[in-house]
Amino acid sequence: MDLLEPTRQAFALLFSGDRELWGIIWLSLWVSVAALALLAPLCVPLGFVVARIHFPGRRALVVAMQGFLSFPTVVVGLVLYLVLSRRGPLGAFELLFTPAAILIGYMVIALPILMVFTVAAVQGADSRIYETARCLGARPLRAMGTTLWEVRFAVTAGFVNAFGRVVSEVGCALLVGGNIAGLTRNIPTAIALETSKGEFAYGIALGFVLMVIAVGVNVALAWLQGEGGLE
Amino acid sequence: MSPLFKAEGIVKRFGERVLFDAASLELETGNGYVLVGPNGSGKTTLLRVLAGLDSAQEGKLVYRAREAAAAGPYPEPWRREIVYAHQQPYLFRTSLADNVEYGLARRGMARERRAALAAEALAWAGLAARHGVPPHRLSGGEKQRAALARAKVLNPVLLLLDEPTANLDGEARAQVLELVRALITESHTVLIATHDPEIIRLAILTRLRVSAQRIEVAE
Amino acid sequence: MIKRIVFALATLLCAATAQAQTVRMATTTSTANTGLLDYLLPKFRSRTGITVQYVAVGTGAALKIGEQGDADVVLVHDRESEEKFVAAGFGVKRRDVMYNDFVIVGAPADPAQIRGMKDAAEALKRIRAAGSAFVSRGDRSGTHLRELQLWRAAGVEPRWEGYYLSIGQGMGTALIMAYEKRGYTLTDRGTYLAYLKKTDLQIMVEGDSRLNNPYSVIAVNPSRHPSINHAGATRLIDWLTSDEGQRAIAGYKVGGAQLFFPSAK
Repeated sequence: MDLLEPTRQAFALLFSGDRELWGIIWLSLWVSVAALALLAPLCVPLGFVVARIHFPGRRALVVAMQGFLSFPTVVVGLVLYLVLSRRGPLGAFELLFTPAAILIGYMVIALPILMVFTVAAVQGADSRIYETARCLGARPLRAMGTTLWEVRFAVTAGFVNAFGRVVSEVGCALLVGGNIAGLTRNIPTAIALETSKGEFAYGIALGFVLMVIAVGVNVALAWLQGEGGLE
Repeated sequence: MSPLFKAEGIVKRFGERVLFDAASLELETGNGYVLVGPNGSGKTTLLRVLAGLDSAQEGKLVYRAREAAAAGPYPEPWRREIVYAHQQPYLFRTSLADNVEYGLARRGMARERRAALAAEALAWAGLAARHGVPPHRLSGGEKQRAALARAKVLNPVLLLLDEPTANLDGEARAQVLELVRALITESHTVLIATHDPEIIRLAILTRLRVSAQRIEVAE
Repeated sequence: MIKRIVFALATLLCAATAQAQTVRMATTTSTANTGLLDYLLPKFRSRTGITVQYVAVGTGAALKIGEQGDADVVLVHDRESEEKFVAAGFGVKRRDVMYNDFVIVGAPADPAQIRGMKDAAEALKRIRAAGSAFVSRGDRSGTHLRELQLWRAAGVEPRWEGYYLSIGQGMGTALIMAYEKRGYTLTDRGTYLAYLKKTDLQIMVEGDSRLNNPYSVIAVNPSRHPSINHAGATRLIDWLTSDEGQRAIAGYKVGGAQLFFPSAK
């Protein structure tokens, strides 16, 4: 089949500022970013505590988090669907098929990624960072902040990884979002379903944008890490 | 007059290995002390216990007539007055000035005042011209001098230095030695763990020796 | 070069499928979601030894698949696009197979007060006026195309923020979403009945002549795609429209109700 014509149409769509198309892109971006922003104040300090403090069950927790790294997103979607459905335990909130449902799904998917990366970053951090901060008079919370700041690139890698995973996952977003035009249709669900309708130009345009986002964020991280001066 | 800082009956074990068995020491205000002893005798560990970075199994610490169990927790206010510097200092990956200002900022000092004090301390350490260089590009000697400036600027009541001249030789060692000498005379109270004969020889220092899991005053 | 490899692979694949005696069918979600195909196709296989592999998508997509020769036969329900498909030379041997009807279903509370109306277009107008949620398939399926015809008849542009939910998915999902959103949707009766236990939706509007839903089967034109299994497709069409096939369709019941009515002439 002809690949050139739909591709030409795809770029025409992108550059003509097609409102529906850009609306889909915008939804993908804001829900992904919001999910990570909501998780950050929870996951980063928690990751620090798990990395630093020995408590019963810590090892099991870390192993569980590692396991959840590759948890199938479609299963997250399925469980969330059952929980949020009107017949489910949280049905009263009527969240199924709303952007909030996708947001929650993304948070569930991103949580172990942020945790594991933060734990690894803090465990890999020089123990003198925290000690130096404490010796210079920082209270524990401040010393934690200083440590995290010193290993910020390793922590950021977790966010980039999580972002890449949620922004491109289709299973959970489709199940709990429902691909409703203008409400919960995001880049991956639109690609999946527009293609099945034979709307190849749309799929190509969105696929291109998704690629640019995913690759771009990783390139930005690599560049930042270079700037960060790896010794 | 009671001593400024006292450690009593410190017991520190790592598993089976006993490092200190009821070790005690006293530090008088205004004095300089040097802590000597063979490698692995526990000099660093003792400093870390005194600074609240490690805890011991038994014993107590007394600072200005306030008591704390050596098993922890370490009193938070002590950290404002007792400052420990690592043998190989860690400099935060910010600017050199930020490193020196870090402790001042924790003490709630205003920005302008901090900057002025930091500049002064860097000049003292002979690093005025290096303040824009990223800390990780500094040489070993420069790092050590920066760490000494970072500690000195806080004007600590008790300064704990861990092997400040180790891993250095030639010019770098001479420069650090110069600063250590200055610190001993300018500071309130200093305790230096070291192997460096030039530091040990300094007449103004009281020599403490770690031996047989105790600390004794050496001649 | 790449074209040549793709062609070789496709030929191999076709040869393999032909040997295993399979027919590839593109059909609508309603025939799959109701369970009709899984009931019907084993009967066809036991009669002929031919396995039918089907993909269930909207009518629009099913016809597109047929157009590209990725299926041997299509089973769809939208007269207008079927006629275009045949006229453009993509399909041959179009035959009526069966029919059922569309109904407008909605949440029992019936926020737009349309229960019992006989005019489907008027009912849609009222749903719009009430600002109730309406779930649209939005996937160019036969059901979606019928829905758009009704909106046109109602003189309403079906595009209002937050209420008109175009989901680009199958009938089953649309029904569940209408239930979750306490709204309305247009559905074929068969899928509605098959999903009766999964939702609390009730039939609000039925019996309007514009709600008839005839299904046709069309063979993909073998002169356009010589490698397709046209013989198998022909046998499937013949069987579906035979007395035996028609009786089988009439005999399919869900919860005691007949879902499809034979219509082969």
